[in-house]
Amino acid sequence: MSRIDDILTQLETISRNPRAQLDACLAAGKKAVGVMPYFCPEELVYAAGMQPFGLWGADMVCDQSRRYYPAFICSILHSVLELGITGKLAGLSAIMIPFSCDSLKGMATNWEVSVKDIPVINVAYAQNRKIDAGTEFTASQLRKIRGQLAEIAGREITDADIAAAVEVYNADRAAIIAFADAAGKHPKLVPAAKRSAVIKAGFFMDRAEHAKLLTELAELLAAEPGDRGYIRVVTTGILADSPALLEIFEENRICIAADQIAAESVDARTQTPVTEDPIIGMAERYGKLEGCSILFDPGKQRGKELVELAKQAGAEGIIWVMTKFCDPEEYDFVPVKRMADAAGIRVLSLEVDRQMVNYEQIRSAVQAFAEMC
Amino acid sequence: MGNAMGTDIYTLGADIGSAASKCVILKNGAEMAASTVESAGAGTGGPARAFEGVLAKAGLRREDIAMITATGYGRNSFAEADLVISELSAHAIGAAAFFPGVRTVIDIGGQDAKVLRLTEAGVLDNFVMNDKCAAGTGRFLEVMARILELDVTQLGDMDGKAEQSAGISSTCTVFAESEVISQLAKGTPIPEIVRGIHESAAVRTASLVRRMNLVLPAAVTGGVAQNRGMIRALGQELGCELMISPDSQLCGAYGAALHAYRKAGQ
Repeated sequence: MSRIDDILTQLETISRNPRAQLDACLAAGKKAVGVMPYFCPEELVYAAGMQPFGLWGADMVCDQSRRYYPAFICSILHSVLELGITGKLAGLSAIMIPFSCDSLKGMATNWEVSVKDIPVINVAYAQNRKIDAGTEFTASQLRKIRGQLAEIAGREITDADIAAAVEVYNADRAAIIAFADAAGKHPKLVPAAKRSAVIKAGFFMDRAEHAKLLTELAELLAAEPGDRGYIRVVTTGILADSPALLEIFEENRICIAADQIAAESVDARTQTPVTEDPIIGMAERYGKLEGCSILFDPGKQRGKELVELAKQAGAEGIIWVMTKFCDPEEYDFVPVKRMADAAGIRVLSLEVDRQMVNYEQIRSAVQAFAEMC
Repeated sequence: MGNAMGTDIYTLGADIGSAASKCVILKNGAEMAASTVESAGAGTGGPARAFEGVLAKAGLRREDIAMITATGYGRNSFAEADLVISELSAHAIGAAAFFPGVRTVIDIGGQDAKVLRLTEAGVLDNFVMNDKCAAGTGRFLEVMARILELDVTQLGDMDGKAEQSAGISSTCTVFAESEVISQLAKGTPIPEIVRGIHESAAVRTASLVRRMNLVLPAAVTGGVAQNRGMIRALGQELGCELMISPDSQLCGAYGAALHAYRKAGQ
């Protein structure tokens, strides 16, 4: 097995078995804190010597969560709540829940009622995130969270701890972008499902180790000749980690040249500025993030960024992986698609759901899209 | 590319849908030598019957066929196929041949609906598909016909007898079913209910068309194109004339056969 395959297999195993990662972490005497989407301050968890554990749900049938959420709430939240209620997340010392969308606003309350043994850390960010008052508000919330995490960790979280964590996270973000760029040139070596798994593994492992592996992977890929004969696309949306979906991309020789997926490169694209008070740097980063429907974005910078990404990547189209029942995504779709249309870039929208078992309609749509390109 | 029938080139298109299997044999990429429609789709004996039937009708054997392209929901499981294309591409190719110059194609199938945009040259340029919902599809009409104790093929004639429309406000199959039952309980004449059903389905389909921006001329393909009441309601909702063909249900299979012919020539 080549070193490339070795790293891919290692990261794929981690991303497909998050519970094993959590168990190993707990067995090593390390505490873990669940981190829900979007853009929670993982660095503070890391700075406290605990393991941040990404919670983007799972492909599963939800039953218990329906007592708390109606069926038309996105399946990411449904499945996270289901995992919590059914004890699959036992061992977490806390869960960070933000209020980024209307559905998330009820999540903390639902969690507190239904999962008694994992306390909630509320994550409130400023809506007007780019103005000074917004930065100040976000910083005040981050300081509050820092105190809550210190209590859970049973130790102080110093500025130096946070600065060191920021450095680790910045390195991992740079490594993710470098890897995504390299994967976009090597779809045969890193098909879509593996590409997703490599990035996703970071949710469940030490980010310093993740950065190290991704940096090595990107360097190894750079030494390989690029693969030709693929249809290059940019993906956008909240989440695109379904192996069944990504295998359909592979069947149709579709290469993800770049992404604007919240769970992939969106977070990685923005570094935390190094500031004297690292909390201020983290709050400023939230103001700089772009490319996600849950971020207040009155100028629809997301559309401009997406079109630019597609042009830079030499993409023949954009695939919008539309999370079912996600209002912010549905609202963004119309103006952003118009921007892509104006730029002459095709957009294919695929509605996906964590509870999907039948992908035949998507298979037809992707095949037709590939036939058009 | 010689074959047992001399210099003629025969190609076959198989459209294996969710509700029906359709096969077309084309002679030299232009003349429809034979066609079959079996009311049984993917995962049944329908595809094999449609395939054997079309060969028998054309008086040909498998080895006389230069190339076979499969399309439709069951395209990947049709073992006789040399090539496979999506039903969207197949309908686009077929519609461009059936309706030269067509720019918008509305394909209403058994369990999904699609709107295709073609370039002036007749090439598929964009498309939208319905959400995972039966509203606005052939399945919606089948469910409604069953409640009314009608065969789905009778809906068009029944619509023509209506003097007015019974309001069916919901586009959801399940809720519309309740409304139809309520209308029956009130004693509303069946033709009026049928017209209401068509108008309800037309609203749903038209909203899909509007997501693409309607470019004329437009045509309807798929089995539902045989339903005059549905075509009337959809044309009224969209405010335009819609082209149909007696062979509309064969459009996907025809497009697949034409695709096979083009590939056979390469």
